[in-house]
Amino acid sequence: MTALLDVKNLSIRFPIKRSWGRSSWLYAVDDVSFEVKRGETLAIVGESGSGKTTAALGVARLVQASGGTVNLDGQDFLGLELEELRQARAKVQVIFQDPYSSLNPRLRAEAIVREPMDSIGTLPVSERPARVAELFEQVGLRPEQMKLFPHQFSGGQRQRIGIARALSTNPEFIICDEAVSALDVAVQAQILNLLRRLQRDLGLTYLFISHDLGVVQHMSDHIAVMYMGKIVEYADRLSLFNNPKHPYTKALLSAVPSVDQKRKVERLLIPGDPPNPLDPPKGCRFASRCPFVEDACKAAQPPLDEISPQHKVACIKA
Amino acid sequence: MTEPLLKVENLRIELALRSGQAPVIDDLSLELHAGETLSFVGESGCGKSMTALAIMGLLPEGVGSVASGRILFDGRDMAQMNDAELRGIRGNEISMIFQEPMTSLNPVYTVGEQIAEVLRRHKGMSKAQAWTRAIELLDAVRIPNAAARVSDYPHQMSGGQRQRVMIAIALACSPKILIADEPTTALDVTVQAQIFDLLRDLGRETGTAIILITHDMGAVAEMADRMVVMYAGRKAEDGPVRPVINHPRHPYTKGLISCVPHLLAELTEERPDLTEVSGIVPSLASFGADACLFASRCDMADDKCRSQRPPEVAFGEQHSACWKADRL
Repeated sequence: MTALLDVKNLSIRFPIKRSWGRSSWLYAVDDVSFEVKRGETLAIVGESGSGKTTAALGVARLVQASGGTVNLDGQDFLGLELEELRQARAKVQVIFQDPYSSLNPRLRAEAIVREPMDSIGTLPVSERPARVAELFEQVGLRPEQMKLFPHQFSGGQRQRIGIARALSTNPEFIICDEAVSALDVAVQAQILNLLRRLQRDLGLTYLFISHDLGVVQHMSDHIAVMYMGKIVEYADRLSLFNNPKHPYTKALLSAVPSVDQKRKVERLLIPGDPPNPLDPPKGCRFASRCPFVEDACKAAQPPLDEISPQHKVACIKA
Repeated sequence: MTEPLLKVENLRIELALRSGQAPVIDDLSLELHAGETLSFVGESGCGKSMTALAIMGLLPEGVGSVASGRILFDGRDMAQMNDAELRGIRGNEISMIFQEPMTSLNPVYTVGEQIAEVLRRHKGMSKAQAWTRAIELLDAVRIPNAAARVSDYPHQMSGGQRQRVMIAIALACSPKILIADEPTTALDVTVQAQIFDLLRDLGRETGTAIILITHDMGAVAEMADRMVVMYAGRKAEDGPVRPVINHPRHPYTKGLISCVPHLLAELTEERPDLTEVSGIVPSLASFGADACLFASRCDMADDKCRSQRPPEVAFGEQHSACWKADRL
């Protein structure tokens, strides 16, 4: 089966003003490649500032990529312009993190859900109200709630509106950017179950951005672990969680507290903070915090090598 | 058993709403012993933070008040104390760290000045003494190069470091009780693990009792000795952590544990849907009702649950306020 989304060597950089009119570049995403098969979920995990959200927004062309290619369903997504791009946007939608600030407070719920159809024009105008009603039912909202404003909904219901909006153009590919991290645990379970049900029913493909490894474990088929703009480990779900290879992945997994008494992992401490992203180290970017570091790590960047099928690690000691 | 450090008896806190008084905390009793870690668990709006604020004497003025019940700290009732007495205890014998390290530090003072302020106020230290002690405290919370970082402003520090500064301020006077209100919610997991390690070590070294407010059952399992599950201002269940997590006697506790996807010892292909606790926490207006407030979200509920408030039933050291606790 071919991949629905194929990202190769994606880089995203931001200009940073320095004194005396000089400027330098901050590479938020640096030469990243991944692919997602149709109907599957790829999760990108990492700490804040690792570039996971920027990478996803770059894929959706919500920030400008500075290099690389994004191939969506056989189409070069980064090369599209004007009308073609507008049409292609119907296939890629985003569910945002904060259900409070990502909905327009002046629009009624039905107008919010309808807006993508209006701006992209995926359906004849006469069919749009029926489609909105259908979407409300799909995400578990009641028809009479269509007339309400965002502030009249709870956090979980708002996130359902956000999901309905993302679904309105019949997308194939949905980016869930920390879609449940602002929600209470009980509500989070409702939304996660909804997302999985929609994936099964509609054959959706997800790019799932999260820092919650428990949620990622539950939702994803493949996982990419990012550190300072680079993918350091890329594997299928079982390999990554049962057999992590990169010391950063091990540290992340060992840091998660668990209710499972049988799960006794030795805490792998990574002291300090990541180095300054404006001046990244020449060698492995994790070297300054890695408990297993040696001289060779600081000399050159380790490539993302395949150590077994479906399992790539960027560490010379893996 | 020794006398508990803190004893809350039948506490009722009322909030003034436009529609009248609503009990945000309704008949809550608990005990905290020296050196132990007690955890409050529940969704937002269940009264966890409100209980902590009441213990600190920080209820929003004019809106929230202790309607009845006692908060006994060292034999004295804090609910009856005046402001001066409370100020003597706050930050000195009971201190608190808040959820957001970004907003709870003052941006225009260096972190050293903010730590020294507590010491000068409560311990009567001189400026120089307090400054030296501030450096020692920063070192104790494992901020590297403490002597130089003490003159940093909060914006020069990362989120994890700011939370460490908050902990240093809270621990400056070696309090008997430290209240940590979701201390790691805004932080990354690796930083969270470091903060938890730090709190645990400090608790062990100084014998400070910790009240940890959280919604993360994993954190509870790892950090706490005993836990109180709160729902809609009432105690749903309490007891030692292990028995409660292994065999919850309240459907709400059960729901809270099973609705979160946990990391397991050995992951398999199997991925059943998460257990849902449908609906949300009821609104404040219905908090005082003589019924089980969880009934609307409980799939075991019957008429009795909807018409009578369940009393607490004991199972060893574990207590549950559910009519059907013995059947769970």
